[in-house]
Amino acid sequence: MKIDEAYIQQLLDRVAAGVATQGDHLEIEELLDGGVIRPEDIESHARIEQQLLRLDAPEPSSSLDRQFYQMLSNNKSSKKAMRWSQFFQWPQLVPKFAIASVMLLVGVGAGYFLRPSADAPGDGEIAYLSRQVSDLQEMMMLSLLEKGSATERLKAVNLTQEMNEASQKVTNALIQTLSEDENINVRLAALEALKPYTTDSSVREALIRSIAKQESPLVQISLAELMVALQERSAVKEFEKIVDSDRTPAEVKKKIRETMEILI
Amino acid sequence: MNSLGDNALMIKVKDGDFDKLGTLFERYKKPLFGFFYHMNKDVDLSEDLVQNVFFRILKYRYLFRGEGDFRTWMFHIARNVSHDHFRKIKWKGREDLDQWQERLSNNDNRQAEFQQDEELELLSMAMDRLPEDKREILLLSKYHEKKYREIGALLGCTEGAVKVKVFRAMQELKDLYKQLEKHL
Repeated sequence: MKIDEAYIQQLLDRVAAGVATQGDHLEIEELLDGGVIRPEDIESHARIEQQLLRLDAPEPSSSLDRQFYQMLSNNKSSKKAMRWSQFFQWPQLVPKFAIASVMLLVGVGAGYFLRPSADAPGDGEIAYLSRQVSDLQEMMMLSLLEKGSATERLKAVNLTQEMNEASQKVTNALIQTLSEDENINVRLAALEALKPYTTDSSVREALIRSIAKQESPLVQISLAELMVALQERSAVKEFEKIVDSDRTPAEVKKKIRETMEILI
Repeated sequence: MNSLGDNALMIKVKDGDFDKLGTLFERYKKPLFGFFYHMNKDVDLSEDLVQNVFFRILKYRYLFRGEGDFRTWMFHIARNVSHDHFRKIKWKGREDLDQWQERLSNNDNRQAEFQQDEELELLSMAMDRLPEDKREILLLSKYHEKKYREIGALLGCTEGAVKVKVFRAMQELKDLYKQLEKHL
């Protein structure tokens, strides 16, 4: 837009004098829109504008301040207080319901996919299988006890520790091993394996009977300690036999006497 | 300087520090009150509208992004509050001069305020007779300190278009002023 300053001034003068035509006004607007002139350049307007700036409004009353600070205080206190009623408002409930629904669906889905299949064995079948395994272990143990190798027999004795509950057949086999096995270590292992079953009186009686059959000081002392632990007074007679025996070492006799003193 | 301060304060309000709104209120209660008062000439109503603006600022604080000028955002809300009010009461802006003179003579507030300045009284009357959109652009120009670019952002138009609107409003105000001058 190429308009010389003199022409612009003439336009502005016509506006100021109030004799501007509609065309003049359009040209002024174009100049304003194009940034060539500013509203402040129009003198007659500038005077009104100055007055406009002086056009004061009355002071707002103190009630405006009071109302505003009351509103602010209400908002601050409502922000601090956790409102349960808000928790149950619909806009808040929508996302909560959505999450709960998704979680429920995930749970149902997971339950569906992780449920036991129809082919899987039930509780009864599991018990049956467990019994089968126990029987197999028992058979294996009894079979191993008859082996010539002490190592194999030790393995057999240790197998009983893997059994949840040994049968009468197993405890009898262990007592027999304790009384008759030629290897001291196997006898000691058998004694250790029998300890969990000492609540059974028949096992305790068998243990007492086996005392007289022991010649190994280690087994004798181990049995003596076990009898003290069980407070088995009926074992005293059997220990007397060991003390009276000439083949019993003096130290073992001493230990056995101490045991007898405790039990008596 | 003020703008930066305003924005920082408003960000704090947005983050939950409501006390900072008090500072903004102290800064802008008068310009806002003046804006509303010149739009409706009612002290009580103007106070209510100022209160409404700050209520909306607090309510919609999460919408303030801090990118623009706080004052522009605030006047945007003020315009909405004003428009909502005018829509509600269907304000009668087209009363004839005799009714205005009668209204002026009965208005103690205005008499007390303008009795010593006839020019300002006439200007006030002329403003009252301006169409709402023209009165608004002049008041925005006054309270926005002639920051036409910001007013343009507020109204959704260019800076040049704001200048044209101001020019047209001023033309009409001048004509009304002259008419009133002849009558008095």
